Amino acid sequence: MTPQQIVEATLFASQTPLTVAEIARADGDLSAEAVRQAIAELREAYEAEERAFQIYELGDGFQVLTRPEFAPYLERFDSVPRAPYLSAAALETLAIVVYRQPIGRIEVEEVRGVGASSVLRTLVDWELIEVVGRGEGLGRPLLYGTTTRFLDHFGMKGLSELPPPEELPVVLAELQEAFDLGAAGEAHPAEPGSPETAPADDAVEVE
Amino acid sequence: MTVETQAPEVLTRARPRSPIVGAEPFFVELDRFQGPLDLLLHLIRAQDIDIFDIPIAGITKQFLAAINKGLDDMQLERAGEFLEMAASLVRIKAQLLLPRPDRLDWEEDPRAELVRRLLEYEHFQDVVHVLQRAEAQRGRHFAKGFIEPRPVSMANRQTLLLTLAELLEAATRIPEPPPPIRVRPPSQTVTVEEKMSLIQRLFEKAKRIPFKRLFGPWGTRAHATAALMAALEMAKQQMVRIEQAAPFAPIWLFSRLPDAADVSEGDDS
Repeated sequence: MTPQQIVEATLFASQTPLTVAEIARADGDLSAEAVRQAIAELREAYEAEERAFQIYELGDGFQVLTRPEFAPYLERFDSVPRAPYLSAAALETLAIVVYRQPIGRIEVEEVRGVGASSVLRTLVDWELIEVVGRGEGLGRPLLYGTTTRFLDHFGMKGLSELPPPEELPVVLAELQEAFDLGAAGEAHPAEPGSPETAPADDAVEVE
Repeated sequence: MTVETQAPEVLTRARPRSPIVGAEPFFVELDRFQGPLDLLLHLIRAQDIDIFDIPIAGITKQFLAAINKGLDDMQLERAGEFLEMAASLVRIKAQLLLPRPDRLDWEEDPRAELVRRLLEYEHFQDVVHVLQRAEAQRGRHFAKGFIEPRPVSMANRQTLLLTLAELLEAATRIPEPPPPIRVRPPSQTVTVEEKMSLIQRLFEKAKRIPFKRLFGPWGTRAHATAALMAALEMAKQQMVRIEQAAPFAPIWLFSRLPDAADVSEGDDS
């Protein structure tokens, strides 16, 4: 029995992602390094043999999943034992939590402009976020952060796979600009025009 | 929950329309919006308005028109969120009308905080799109156990695809069950009385007999049991004496019958 075969058997038998340490428990002689190497070898072998599945890294674990091109065939089966697609409210809340964690309910609501208590509760129930601590403010509010299941749900190795805030599209540049303008408190040579013309327009509208 | 301000024209969320504010016809389905920021952002982006130069009066008018009819059907909490935004819009509009210093700093623009919130909200909408794409991509990978095991009881839930004639025909093909095998318990082959008479007959020839002789030739449990019962019965009736020298040693029966008393050897009466 080679380490590669033992790792393959372990990953094959599991329905959830397994960490390197968990896989190594299969055999006393199996070191973490050997597990990592076996996974790399297996991945190459599957690639070369054009298997319908591959070993994917989800959060801190590894799992054998089918390749995306086989989804149309599998989708013909009724059973859907995985989490359904999230609602717009859930995604919006997760987007805020993932970039601002640890974050409390009030802060989430400030960004969204709507209440967030029930959607936060649902996300905790689904183990996509968890309470990671308590804030300093009044009543020591609960602070939320994302979980390993969050990474699994979105097929990520780690949060580093999300685009860094500064790489998000133009909107962010605008935001940064707005912050700079607000924070500096000084009139930028190019800017003063716009705030001044606006009120004039308004006045015309109203009268 | 559809709100029409002037002439009916459907505006979809992402499609930018005329940049003129105020005189625009609008259909806004409030259900599609997460909240007031979402709605406001839609009004601004759909009309290609410069977010740093929002014509507050026009936007406020549109916003109020959009939520006006929808409010009645809304849950109280959700309605409050929209009304709060409406209130801040009106407040900003009022502030803009107030006399102000000659040179207006961006920092003093009453719209600044609203713009900051809108941009922040829009920024997170971008993150939502990133997450949505990742979620869809992940959804195309399936783990083991995706296809449920076939239910065992499936056969029972099938509708019967048989006619009555076919069923009866199949029934006739079932073979006749074989006749039941009658097992008769072995009849009792020996009685206690038979053994007692055997003992008496043997005593006519000898004054003592080995117990084993009473059943030895037959060797069955029934004979041994009957012999023991007979010996005990006769001992009780003072007809025999039973002796055993040591545990597991041969057992002897001695006759105590009156007609045999004179020939008994070692009588201990």
